[in-house]
Amino acid sequence: MATTISPSPVTLQPPGPSTTEIEPDSETPSNPKQPQTQTPIKPDTPATATAVAIATPRPPDPPPSSDADIIHIPSYSRWFSWDNIHECEVRFLPEFFDSRSPSKNPKVYMHYRNSIVKQFREHQRQQAPSRKITFTDARKTLVGDVGSIRRVFDFLEAWGLINYSPSAQNKPLKWEDKDAKSSSSQGAEAKAAAAAAAAAAADSSAGPSKENSKVVCSGCKLVCSIACFACDKYDLTLCARCYVRGNYRVGVNSSDFRRVEISEDTKTDWTEKENLHLMEAILHYGDDWRRVAQYVGGRSDKECVAHFLKLPFGEEYLKHADSGEVDVKYNQMKDHVDAECRLESSGASFSSKRLCLTPLADASNPIMAQAAFLSALAGVDVAEAAAQAAVTSLSQVGLGASKEPQSSLAKITKLQEADVTPNGNTTGNALEGAFVEANSQLQKDELDVERAISRIAEVQMKEIQDKLVHFENLDMQMEKEWQQLEQMKNMLFVDQLTLLFHRSSAPKTDERMEQKSVRID
Amino acid sequence: MKAPALSFSKAPVKFRMPTSANLVPIRLDIEIDGQRFKDAFTWNPSDPDSEVVVFSKRTVKDLKLPPAFITQIASSIQTQLAEFRSYEGQDMYSGEKIVPIKLDLRVNHTLIKDQFLWDMNNFESDPEEFARTFCKDLGIEDPEVGPAIAFAIREQLYEIATQSVASARESRISKKGRRGTEHATSSKSSGSALDLVKLFGYRSSVVRKRKDWDVYEPIVDHLSNEEVDALEAREVRTIR
Repeated sequence: MATTISPSPVTLQPPGPSTTEIEPDSETPSNPKQPQTQTPIKPDTPATATAVAIATPRPPDPPPSSDADIIHIPSYSRWFSWDNIHECEVRFLPEFFDSRSPSKNPKVYMHYRNSIVKQFREHQRQQAPSRKITFTDARKTLVGDVGSIRRVFDFLEAWGLINYSPSAQNKPLKWEDKDAKSSSSQGAEAKAAAAAAAAAAADSSAGPSKENSKVVCSGCKLVCSIACFACDKYDLTLCARCYVRGNYRVGVNSSDFRRVEISEDTKTDWTEKENLHLMEAILHYGDDWRRVAQYVGGRSDKECVAHFLKLPFGEEYLKHADSGEVDVKYNQMKDHVDAECRLESSGASFSSKRLCLTPLADASNPIMAQAAFLSALAGVDVAEAAAQAAVTSLSQVGLGASKEPQSSLAKITKLQEADVTPNGNTTGNALEGAFVEANSQLQKDELDVERAISRIAEVQMKEIQDKLVHFENLDMQMEKEWQQLEQMKNMLFVDQLTLLFHRSSAPKTDERMEQKSVRID
Repeated sequence: MKAPALSFSKAPVKFRMPTSANLVPIRLDIEIDGQRFKDAFTWNPSDPDSEVVVFSKRTVKDLKLPPAFITQIASSIQTQLAEFRSYEGQDMYSGEKIVPIKLDLRVNHTLIKDQFLWDMNNFESDPEEFARTFCKDLGIEDPEVGPAIAFAIREQLYEIATQSVASARESRISKKGRRGTEHATSSKSSGSALDLVKLFGYRSSVVRKRKDWDVYEPIVDHLSNEEVDALEAREVRTIR
């Protein structure tokens, strides 16, 4: 495999879509062996000799047609051929060409490159939906050091030779998310007419330019064709490709951007007839946009919806006599409902009652949902009156709680019966009643305690009294016994005395006895 | 003792992989929260260290692993790289060394068993080329087999090279007379070197004996799904 490096002048900058500086001889030596690349318009290759390796080449328009089996590569990669190595490859991956390491030579590079591309195309052919191959898949099948394989892979991916999807519209998820987000943020504005809100938002988000004029992307300086993404924080407007490729400054987050449709009306303006058809269809079919689209003919349902919203006089059709204010409330409540639901409800508020209830089911707070539901059933004025009555009764209940528990309880029950309002009131009363009951209980308990204490005291006093009495008795007994003892003493003495007298009446010792008895006395 | 004609006393060479490309075999086996990630690839040690993080992030993203793997993978790669680099400054013995390399691996549905001799002295050897030829000759269609073979060869070469560094260190420490002959006896793969003398001596011929043919013939088996599952289950059990 001879490796020829093309001698053309440097064509590193990929072409822009609308610039037409054609340099005829700067066309790369495209071998006849390029059956798989598209042959779109002439490659517009400006002859800017920038030697700086650009990290990501700027994407141009995708090739026009897209059949199933054709491999798509962007027009700035036309130089690719199986057998040759192009100069930009040498430039981007010098490691293979400077013969610094013996295993990294151009042959090896071509082998890596060709096998990765082959693998991608094989993958694409077999599994259409997932069209990308990952680096890990590639390196598993290649023999060599993973660093250089990764570089080759990145190079091929950057230049769109692998993992390239032909049309930028193949990024549906991100875009649809943006769509829903932007329209729901529009719905959150509490305007009565959703159409007015949509129109205002669309106007403001078109940025510096009006809807019909071209918007220039601040990233790649190309005119944005289909849609652009505006970031208000940093005042950027990027075209779809720059946004998808992440071609913005470091600090900017991808979620800061808002999608702005440009081409809706510029592509094909709505004729008067179509407008008329649209109006008629909406009047007849309300929110069935499929039938509306059928009626209008030639427009998809999304287009009909979008156009309808942008119509300035759409307000008239959205305001209905009774449900106008209700609409306001509902619009305010459902910030987080997605675009479809909002459009349906706003477009079909002719049949107001039916729709009044559906959005409320989405409110996150179930109690609020119930309250809203009931108030919707009852009507606005009744709901207001009920709410006021509830508030007043609550305040009254607050006052009543400080009085005697039982009487306030009675009052509360009376108030409860008097009210005929939604739920919040009864819950307040129940709380008050519970509080009052608790108070009475407390007081009863206090009384009980007091009584018990007094009883105990009584009992103890009785005990003491008994003891006193007992002791008194004892005392009395003691005295008696003492007296008896005294008497007995006296008697003993008398007895002793008489005995002595008798003895003293005896002859000889009488005198002594008398003396003794005198002495004894 | 006179040194034989084979140049034992070549000056030792700085450590490097005895292949034309100085690549490090890296093996990853990480388990986080019950998820197991096994991988094996070759790395170029002259890549900047930032490459490690880039690679691990890329791998985690491609395989949709939980992000806890990123740091683990990066640190594992870096430790192995550091180990390789620690050998780099040192001397490696470079005498006659023909070593047997054994292949025994299973890649997806292909089972490969092989054994052959490899010259460690040949610094221009290329395991990748061998793997390419192997796959082409044996008609292996699975593109993942080639890198696995190259990796296995490289890993064994790396092991032998590190062993030779260790033994070179030993012989340097011992510092006795004929370093070459001493080394020939003390090196682990001296067995094969001596075998060579036996094999290529004047008594025998280069042609292998018929009874040895089975030993040196590659065996490639294509497994069915059940066999693959059974083998995997067995592997997991032995690991546990």
